[in-house]
Amino acid sequence: MASPTLLFSTLMGSEAKSIARGLQKRDPDMLDRLIEQYQYRLFRYLAYVTGNKERAEDFFQETWIRVLERGHQYDGKSRFEAWLFAIARHLVIDWQRSKKVQSLDTLTDPELDYPLQLVNESEPSPLHQVLSQETEENVQASLQKIPAIYREVLVLRFQEELQIEEMAGVLSVPLSTVKSRLYRGLEALRGALQGGAAS
Amino acid sequence: MNENIHNRALQLIARARVEGVPETDLTWLRAHLEECDFCTEQARQTDGALRMLRTSAISLPQGLAGRTQFRVRLRAQELREREPGRRALWVACAASWAFGLVSAPYVWGLFQWFGQRTGVPKMVWEVGFGLWWTIPALFAAAVLLMENSRKGEQSDWIDQGN
Repeated sequence: MASPTLLFSTLMGSEAKSIARGLQKRDPDMLDRLIEQYQYRLFRYLAYVTGNKERAEDFFQETWIRVLERGHQYDGKSRFEAWLFAIARHLVIDWQRSKKVQSLDTLTDPELDYPLQLVNESEPSPLHQVLSQETEENVQASLQKIPAIYREVLVLRFQEELQIEEMAGVLSVPLSTVKSRLYRGLEALRGALQGGAAS
Repeated sequence: MNENIHNRALQLIARARVEGVPETDLTWLRAHLEECDFCTEQARQTDGALRMLRTSAISLPQGLAGRTQFRVRLRAQELREREPGRRALWVACAASWAFGLVSAPYVWGLFQWFGQRTGVPKMVWEVGFGLWWTIPALFAAAVLLMENSRKGEQSDWIDQGN
């Protein structure tokens, strides 16, 4: 009998292949489904990387336009989300270059016009959101204190649950760099949350 | 307790969460944590930080998926409309190159004859022949460049207001 892990990876593989086929054909229904399926994860990644919800929405839309235009480049051999995050990241980097920004950190520099404002206060907030808002704000404020390159790896590893090898592909850096960023990021997160709790 | 032992424990606590550790190291770590309050507290704080990160949520802008789907469908339509034109361009280029290849020896002869008749320097009619041969490629490149620059203008929206 096939082990659950093997069965899972086979299912994931066939899902990736079917996405690749749909992207080759620019299947509009499949793109609609993918946008809905990945909206939360992609938006959260972009929001944490850019530190600004409005800018994250711009990048979100542009990412899906790129997926449509370059869908034929996805071969279905890797997980779709890894390819999707790589596209989104390249867009952010290209934008930074066009703005002559030196590093991801500048995007969330509190001195700039767009400070990190991830909680949209104008939206209706159900009771459970109100109850968890304090925790959310604490985490988001703590993340804001962490340099963007570490914040990004923490989000990819512990929220998006990408493998280290997949992260190396998304970030276009060696495995050792991913690992060292993760260790430093973890340390920084712990420190930031402790600091947040103390203040 | 030796400082090195604490350092090893702290490294293993982080490694276990980032990339995993071998069973022997894990056994050693468990044994150490049972007798070391400081490292236990560090492990607890690390787990707490990761739990908070994993469970933290952000709210999506209303209608985000709908707006994006609309834009993507518009772009898809645009690409579909442009496809026949682009295909015709490639077909024309391919036909032109094929014709150029087949007729090259005759055209060379024609240029040579014309050069001799008019007394034009050899260099000039040779350059003329070269241009005649590369014009389809230059034309195709110019069209593609124009298309790319138009695409670049279209994605400038992302910079607006930032």
